[in-house]
Amino acid sequence: MRMDTVIMGGGLSGLTCGIALAKRGQRVTIVASGQSTLLFNGGSMELLGHIEGKAVTAPLEAIGTLPQSHPYSKIGADNIAALADEAKQLLADAGIDMEGSAAVNHWRITPMGVAKPAWLTLNENMRIDSLGKLPAKHLVLMCIRGFFDQPNGMLAQGLRELGFEVKTVEFTTDDITALRRSPSEMRATTLTKRLVSHNALQRIADQINNLAGEAEMVLLPSVFGQTDSTDFQTLQSLVKKPLRLVATLPPSVAGGRMQTLLRHYFKMLGGNYLMGDSAVSGQFDGDRLLSVTTAKLGDMPLRANNYVLATGSFISRGLVADYERVYEPVFDLDVDADGDREQWTRFDVLEPQAYSRYGVATDGDLRCMKQGKPIQNLHAIGSVLSGHDAIKMGDGTGVSLLTALAAAKNILSGK
Amino acid sequence: MATNDIYKKEYDVIIVGGGATGAGTARDCALRGLNVLLVERDDYSTGATGRNHGLMHSGARYAVTDGESAAECIKENMILRRIARHCVEETDGLFITLPEDDLAYQQTFVEACGRAGIRADIIAPDEARVIEPSVNPDLIGAVRVPDASIDPFRLTVANLLDARINGAETLNHHEVEGMIINQGRVEGVKLHNKLNGEHVEVRCKVVVNAAGIWGQRIAKLAGVNISMFPARGALLIFGHRVNRMVINRCRKPANADILVPDDTVCVIGTTSDRIPIETVDDMRVTREEVDVLLKEGIKIAPSLATTRVIRAYAGVRPLVASDDDPSGRSISRGIVCLDHAKRDGLEGFITITGGKMMTYRLMGEIATNAVCAKLGNTKPCVTATLPLPGSEEDAPSQSDTTKRYSFGERAAIGRHGSLAARIEKDNDIDNALVCECEGVTVGEIKYAVHQLHVHNLVNLRRRTRVGMGTCQGKLCSCRAASLMGELNHDVKSAQKDLATFLDERWKGMRPVAWGDTLREAQLTAAIYEGLCGLDQAVNTQRKEDEQ
Amino acid sequence: MAERMQLCNISDNNFEECTKCSICTTVCPVTAVTTDYPGPKQAGPDGERYRLKDPAYYDKALKLCLNCKRCEVACPSGVHIADIIQHARMRAGEGQRASLRDTMLANTDLLGKVANLVAPIANATLGLSPTKLVMDSVMAIDKHRTFPAYSRQKFTTWFKRHAAKQQDAFSNHVSYFHGCYVNYNFPKLGQDLVKLMNAIGYGVHMLDKEQCCGVALIANGLYKQAKRQARTNAASIRQSVNIAHRTVLTTSSSCTFNLRDEYPSLLDVDTSDVRDGIMLATRFIYNLVDEEKVKLVFRQDYKRRMAYHTACHMQRMGWQLYSIELLRMIPGLDLVELEQECCGISGTYGFKKENYERSQAIGSVLFKHIEDAKVEAVTTDCETCKWQIEMSTGLPVENPISVLADALDVDATRRANSI
Repeated sequence: MRMDTVIMGGGLSGLTCGIALAKRGQRVTIVASGQSTLLFNGGSMELLGHIEGKAVTAPLEAIGTLPQSHPYSKIGADNIAALADEAKQLLADAGIDMEGSAAVNHWRITPMGVAKPAWLTLNENMRIDSLGKLPAKHLVLMCIRGFFDQPNGMLAQGLRELGFEVKTVEFTTDDITALRRSPSEMRATTLTKRLVSHNALQRIADQINNLAGEAEMVLLPSVFGQTDSTDFQTLQSLVKKPLRLVATLPPSVAGGRMQTLLRHYFKMLGGNYLMGDSAVSGQFDGDRLLSVTTAKLGDMPLRANNYVLATGSFISRGLVADYERVYEPVFDLDVDADGDREQWTRFDVLEPQAYSRYGVATDGDLRCMKQGKPIQNLHAIGSVLSGHDAIKMGDGTGVSLLTALAAAKNILSGK
Repeated sequence: MATNDIYKKEYDVIIVGGGATGAGTARDCALRGLNVLLVERDDYSTGATGRNHGLMHSGARYAVTDGESAAECIKENMILRRIARHCVEETDGLFITLPEDDLAYQQTFVEACGRAGIRADIIAPDEARVIEPSVNPDLIGAVRVPDASIDPFRLTVANLLDARINGAETLNHHEVEGMIINQGRVEGVKLHNKLNGEHVEVRCKVVVNAAGIWGQRIAKLAGVNISMFPARGALLIFGHRVNRMVINRCRKPANADILVPDDTVCVIGTTSDRIPIETVDDMRVTREEVDVLLKEGIKIAPSLATTRVIRAYAGVRPLVASDDDPSGRSISRGIVCLDHAKRDGLEGFITITGGKMMTYRLMGEIATNAVCAKLGNTKPCVTATLPLPGSEEDAPSQSDTTKRYSFGERAAIGRHGSLAARIEKDNDIDNALVCECEGVTVGEIKYAVHQLHVHNLVNLRRRTRVGMGTCQGKLCSCRAASLMGELNHDVKSAQKDLATFLDERWKGMRPVAWGDTLREAQLTAAIYEGLCGLDQAVNTQRKEDEQ
Repeated sequence: MAERMQLCNISDNNFEECTKCSICTTVCPVTAVTTDYPGPKQAGPDGERYRLKDPAYYDKALKLCLNCKRCEVACPSGVHIADIIQHARMRAGEGQRASLRDTMLANTDLLGKVANLVAPIANATLGLSPTKLVMDSVMAIDKHRTFPAYSRQKFTTWFKRHAAKQQDAFSNHVSYFHGCYVNYNFPKLGQDLVKLMNAIGYGVHMLDKEQCCGVALIANGLYKQAKRQARTNAASIRQSVNIAHRTVLTTSSSCTFNLRDEYPSLLDVDTSDVRDGIMLATRFIYNLVDEEKVKLVFRQDYKRRMAYHTACHMQRMGWQLYSIELLRMIPGLDLVELEQECCGISGTYGFKKENYERSQAIGSVLFKHIEDAKVEAVTTDCETCKWQIEMSTGLPVENPISVLADALDVDATRRANSI
């Protein structure tokens, strides 16, 4: 099967790259081994959140100070602003409406009430532009009875520490009570499926209107809108006060929605998305990749002019650590990782862990290295790249989006 | 009783140490009508009690080298099957001979078992492969013995519960920092309440030192010297059971020669290293220990080579030098009960140590006998026949599947036996699962928090198995922290507690952080640090605390 | 052995690769509509650890699993979640005392054979409301269900009479595992395949002995019978692939998945040596076109707007690409690719009275998508999806092979391939 580009990995970076290429008329196939880590994303993108434990206020400026090994440095600090604009537009085209600026971080509110620096946040999510200037003083936190994937106490406490007056109110509706009959499945994503009808939303709106009291703003867990923000907007139209959502523990509704919208957009552009399949090996001719064999397509390998590796980090099995080493499992590409297992981790759980920075080695154009030489038609993007730390630096989603666009440009320009 | 009132009372006996031995002693003393207080510096079963195989020895392992211990074991084994049914799983055990072992040892072994009163049946390797499919198929010999699996956390809690039912008081997170000694007589203990930082004195007639390896320090506080020989053993936990039966190597005891099915997991161990007494609090498992455990474990059950290791942990056995050999060369694994009045001229102080988790009840009986002798109490010991709470009547049938999905309820019965009846399950929220790996419900957590002395998530884990499954607390720890914050009306410390809990889980994962365990760790970090910002919150709190 | 260890984790059905990420729970069509089912994570990897400890932890709620495999497709860790659940059901002996209803539903070929003989009566009877009432109350087959109509003439009879003789004349050959549906209910699909294959120069042959693939038997817990039939089929397939060197083509995604993957994984009937020789006809044809071995020429006057529905087992096999890419070759076909959703029928599941409402609730998302797509027909590789979608949306549903055969300019294709 012949394509222009085959992308291995169907998460944020793979889809972004696929969309950018398909938009320019390429025939693209994405091989996605299951759902992606977007399902752990609460509805925000981060460009650069922290450097050495300090919150970054102006990411574009701070990016200039990053070492050469960081993916941002590879795509060129000067290109970041333009790529960031492009990414924001691509998301909007897919139906993901987010606000924020690459020049100045805003603060997203985490499920535990912590304010974390962010670049883009979904419009309906709670955010703070400046910690000195809160969007409202009096908040009411509407807690869904029997829903345990939002730590309400910690959230309220965190918000209070940020300077809000917070009232917490527990509520339920028939739809919610009915779902709680399940001992295990009252998750954000299941609630979302139950809270779609106008009546179900009206019942929630009634509760809010009754219980919100004097608050200026109403906070709810992010359990509305599986495929778009219509349900949220319907609910907002039924509630007198402004509503904001707060991310829950995963699986995340907002993340799932972003994944779905990107996939729809990609398919609308004519892309093939092979869900539940994964690349298992490749055939090389010198410094070029000729074809990729997948688990499901078996003896009919995928052939393309260009290939993109967007298989993610350890979680997504884009990298594998065994008892002896860290390696890239599809092509056995060169990786930047410590050889000694003792070095992979640190003793305290909240310390920066070395393994977070591991990834495949690339040249200055994000081309993968194998035995010290770049593979001419194989780019790596997103979390599989070495040199960044999504957890401690808050650069995961930014790296995914921007390296995806940069790689697409390289491919289109024949670089 | 409120903690302050507990301090004010005067006791017949204060037991130092909340391991199985301390708990067993507290129960026995309480059953004989004594006024009892048990104090534990950390949580119940934090020490060697909770850091072993969870193996209910038949005694066979000691039959060749220490016939006396072996005989003790089999006797206690049979007793525990009756009195602690809900903590015991009657798996039976195999002693296997591998091609590298000497098959002649099997005969020596079986004869020694016979002398100790342990049933030991030689079975054909073929039969062993059938009854225990995970066993190394190359085995050349097998002996079947009445080994079993036992849950030391449950066992300890059941003893404490019964002690309390019979009037005892128990305090965890209370460290003994000194003894009240008056004219050659111990009259009480000085305590540090680690939950609120308070320092108090509590009076009694007799103090029993049941502090395991830390007993040397406790003795020192009373001005007496005991020579402990800490023997450290490391173990590995695998993500699920590969074996149905306990599997031992039929040879002289050595490294990593026992594989035990414990609840939902299996455990290989142990290494054995003499360590300096100063290092007994360092429970870090080294890379070398992991390597040895895996290398040897694979010989017992080859599938361990490809089974996920979810944790590593280590414990320290409290071995004691016998008094007639101060050089420490002859170390006893047997029970040592020291009446310091006779030994050191210090009245009102007894040390019970040595022994094994297996023989905790007997140790409790011996210590209680010594206490009673001092106090002139003549009531007989009944702990060998009286079932522990949870084991006293038939637990509701496991196979009773109702129409509703009832995993949590059934898992709770497995854990708490008949006590599971105390867990609320009449509404949907109480039935909701907090820990999905181990089937721990909201109701069970409420029960543990209200009735089982739970002050933090680590306590909660020991009582309920929250966070002990494959994912080591990925979603459940946040749910549980949040719930406990509500139940204890203390949201503020919930985040710190959560971070401490995740750290405690990580300490066990780190030595085995490769493969899926590393993936698990990265996902946990993505959720708690990336998504939730727990690291940021805790760092801010720490800075505030420092200021 | 001791030298190389812990290089990977291997557990039955990979259950221990599960990181408890819970992604599988977001795609389960059953938990979306009922709270009685504990969801794939609890029923699968979570429950399995306890069942390994003690089989008594098996829970009857596992029966509600559709075996649609959507959880497996979504799992980022490669855990065979649905297989774990199916194995647990097998171990617990679910279905060993199958009811008359389940046995009847499961024996699609037996039912077919009988109904075939008396097709006009059977169709009338199965369609009559008193009969439906009896089925509803006595047999617990839901009264809303329309049984697929039975054909008057079996496919194999047609083939023998009208096609068999011509097949040897071709220079290339394939075998055809037609399955119960083609044989008893809808011979036209088989005829379409023969038409298509003949047009590109391939002779089509029946297997020495074909029995129902057993997918419905497995679903209803009749494992012993399924195993017997699997052995017969495996032998015939082996004969075709290994001795006659004829690839075995299929037109049903469920049969294909069953023959290739469920035989070894659930029934312990090893078909790994011939697995690559069993495939959906669309994959086979796509490959021939892709490698430029054959050409397809389509009618200029063909104009239709259709929606492609990826059947759950098709998605699990990952082969929808072939059907879609082939259909996209038809110039006059305006093809809408539907978002993958379960139709809710899952073989015989939706036929059971106790499942009817759940089945329709599950399918409602898909039906809405179909309605929104504004198409004149739907195309899918699965026959039970076809029944469900036809019943629920009123739109005709066709197999891609039928669409291709319908759109094909046979003479031009033959010329293009020099036949």
